[in-house]
Amino acid sequence: MGPLTYFGEISTEWNYVIALFIGMAFGYIMEASGFSSSRKLIGVFYGYDFAVIRVFFTATLVAIIGLLYMGYFGWIDYSVLFVHPTFVASAAIGGVIMGLGFIMGGFCPGTSLCAVAIGKLDGWVFTIALFVGIFLYSQVFPWIEPLYNAGDMGHIKITEYFGISQGWFAFGFAVVAVAVFFITTLIRRKVKDVRY
Amino acid sequence: MSKRYIFLAVLLIGSAFGLTQLPEKPNKKQIPPDELLIKIYDQARYLTTREIAKRIIDRDPSIFLVDVRTPSEYEEYAIPGAFNIPLENILDDQWRDYLNQDGVDVIFYSNGTIYADQAWDLIAQRGIKNLYIMKGGLNEWFATIIKPVAPDETAPSEAFDQYAFEKAASIYFGGSSAGVDAAAPAEKKEVVVRKKKKKAAEGGC
Repeated sequence: MGPLTYFGEISTEWNYVIALFIGMAFGYIMEASGFSSSRKLIGVFYGYDFAVIRVFFTATLVAIIGLLYMGYFGWIDYSVLFVHPTFVASAAIGGVIMGLGFIMGGFCPGTSLCAVAIGKLDGWVFTIALFVGIFLYSQVFPWIEPLYNAGDMGHIKITEYFGISQGWFAFGFAVVAVAVFFITTLIRRKVKDVRY
Repeated sequence: MSKRYIFLAVLLIGSAFGLTQLPEKPNKKQIPPDELLIKIYDQARYLTTREIAKRIIDRDPSIFLVDVRTPSEYEEYAIPGAFNIPLENILDDQWRDYLNQDGVDVIFYSNGTIYADQAWDLIAQRGIKNLYIMKGGLNEWFATIIKPVAPDETAPSEAFDQYAFEKAASIYFGGSSAGVDAAAPAEKKEVVVRKKKKKAAEGGC
């Protein structure tokens, strides 16, 4: 995790304090919107609740549009933004594992901590298992290191890779997102039996 | 479907469409004048002809010599490996990547120092770090490398060491000591410029 500012306007200690408050706000909003319930989270896989997919699409879309406008007006220098390196093969395999774990466990790592905070038993089990998993992973890491580094493409963005303009990518993404919102609403209407 | 959702959908798509309609903004990032002033005062941007000659002889791959004189002057004589970008074209977009290479020292030279210095002033405003100037330009190059003058007999021994190097360099660059015409045309080098890779910022999740 990087500092909030690069030139030391905010000291390291205050960075942590601010991070703490951002984390608290994040956790509070997540819990308040019901994301500590595994029934709500996995609803997206069974077709009765699409809050997860909507939240992700909305967050991504708002971030894209906001960043691009602010970058254009010079309020943000996005050449200093961190772009995660892309590892195609390991991302695909990791994504499958993550998805399976998500359906089976009913949480993703962040929401499981949220469930722990409000004392949910399944949240506790999930989180303990999560740390066991991390431990096992660290033990077998030497064997799976080639997979871990598979398909390294470096710090690359979709728009750079395909050579499309950022604006048109954002527009395409917005259209897809709104289509997803619409389709999920239709599916949601058809489902009568909702068990939370 | 409630009106609120329709409004939000229109707002999102509309603002995203707005992004596609923004006029292209050229990347004209410049450093503030006070920073430039500090850079201009920094004498470290001057390299001597001897330093440059040594790096050429050593086949140092991390130098990129830029000849800012006119093409006709460049044809007549140029330092081996130098690349011609006339001063009047130095700001052209096609040279942008040539003059901004990670890990490569871009060295400007002209007949004297002034034109090279002007090229440096123009390019340094882009905030590029590894830009240098050959102090004294080609005049100095001829005076030291091509036709070195022997030091006085009473000169310190460093001067003789330097002279020894200059004589050797003179042979390398086809100067008088080798008995070759000093104005022998230099071999021109094809330059492969790699696009500057973006540096990853520190941090992440």
